[in-house]
Amino acid sequence: MNAPIRALLSLAGFVLLWWGAVWGFSIPAFLLPSPGAVIDRLVFLAINAELWRHTTTTLGQILGGFVIGALLGIGTGAAFARLPRLERLFTPVILLVQTAPKIAIAPLLILWLGLGPGPKIVLVAIVTFFPAMTGALTGFRYIAKAYRDLAQIVGLTTWQRLTRIDLPFAVPPIVAGLRVATTQAVTAAVVAEMMGANRGLGYLLTAGQESSDSPAVIGVIVILSLTGWGFYELVRFAEAKLIPWRSKA
Amino acid sequence: MITIEAVSKRFAGPKGEPVDALTPVDLTIPAGQFLSIVGPSGCGKSTLLRIIAGLETPSDGKLTIAATGVARPIGFVFQEPVLLPWLSTLANIRFPLDTGGVPRAEADATAHRLIKMVGLQGFEDALPHQLSGGMRQRAAIARALSYDPPILLMDEPFGALDLLTRDRMNDELLQIWRATKKTIVFVTHSVEEAAYLSDRVVVMSARPGRVRAIHDVDLPHPRGEATKLDPRFHQFMATFRRELK
Repeated sequence: MNAPIRALLSLAGFVLLWWGAVWGFSIPAFLLPSPGAVIDRLVFLAINAELWRHTTTTLGQILGGFVIGALLGIGTGAAFARLPRLERLFTPVILLVQTAPKIAIAPLLILWLGLGPGPKIVLVAIVTFFPAMTGALTGFRYIAKAYRDLAQIVGLTTWQRLTRIDLPFAVPPIVAGLRVATTQAVTAAVVAEMMGANRGLGYLLTAGQESSDSPAVIGVIVILSLTGWGFYELVRFAEAKLIPWRSKA
Repeated sequence: MITIEAVSKRFAGPKGEPVDALTPVDLTIPAGQFLSIVGPSGCGKSTLLRIIAGLETPSDGKLTIAATGVARPIGFVFQEPVLLPWLSTLANIRFPLDTGGVPRAEADATAHRLIKMVGLQGFEDALPHQLSGGMRQRAAIARALSYDPPILLMDEPFGALDLLTRDRMNDELLQIWRATKKTIVFVTHSVEEAAYLSDRVVVMSARPGRVRAIHDVDLPHPRGEATKLDPRFHQFMATFRRELK
């Protein structure tokens, strides 16, 4: 049995169980609505409440923040690998920002940047930055000495060594870092939206909670899960394309 | 020709005290010679090879490599193949030519010729992880030969291979040497390999690293199964082994 079929069966089993529980134990709908009620509600929101626009808003913020955080992280990691002194200087600050709970940073960002997409993108960038930086630092720093020797024997220029040897070797740990960042990026975007926004899936969550609309809340959670999952699979797909020697080894 | 005059190497030890990795060595290696350096680990044989390659700078002494009009006079084969895992066999062999600005068609022709020479036909497009250990080391040798350096330095290139593969690789290396007339400096810890392959053998000993003896191995060429039955071959091996103790 191959992986996609297994995944579908597993999901179908979960939905069946959910249905069975709602029916069998007569759970009130305001606590746990049936899967059908959730889908009904999502269809209603899609038609009447611009669900699609909320979804694309959140997706755009996740993607924007992710790209910015990844680029800054990779650049910083590469620079730190070259200049350990710079790393020692900045590491405490980066660790401080990184260890602060993201939920605690979000209100501050909203105070500074308002209710628009700004604080969401910044928060996503912050959570993406660290794993990307760590991956790049590892990748660029721990290249086997023999490859440096090879570069010297073959007479590579500094630029050639960077693009032909260092960068390809750094790709696997960078992608591994980005894979970790995907789930955190989704969480960060939603957290920031729940703290203060006038659109987005996080906003829908808060609105649903305030009006005791549990079908909508569960529906949005499902969309978020699917988003995170899809994002993760996208990075894995990129990994398989970028690093064929790793995935087949 | 490689001339080594009073070349020595001193490292800083764990407590900062100077450690002699290599006490002064004098050695002249004529063009076209197959010279082996045999010794136990820690005798400085790899250090000496790396100094010749320019990968380490000697603490003292003088190294001269007479190779006029060649941009890259040295090919180096490492203990591990050190292939780039994302490049095909062909692209790995062509790598020094690509980065050296050799036109693609010319580089391709050279790489295909070398693939034939090291017996990797049919594996041009394979990635390194799809090759066996022996095949990877063959690709590494072909890469070192790609830009046709007059000198080939080899640092225990077959140490990680099983004995059968190693024997076959030794014979193939001798063929390559006969075909290309390169100067080869071959580092090994196997007295058999040294005696079988070389014109001349440098025996080194450890703590401090130094040259113990130098022997001319005047066994007839081409070498093969008959060489291994020659009593003088076994005498050479016995001599080296005694000197290594």
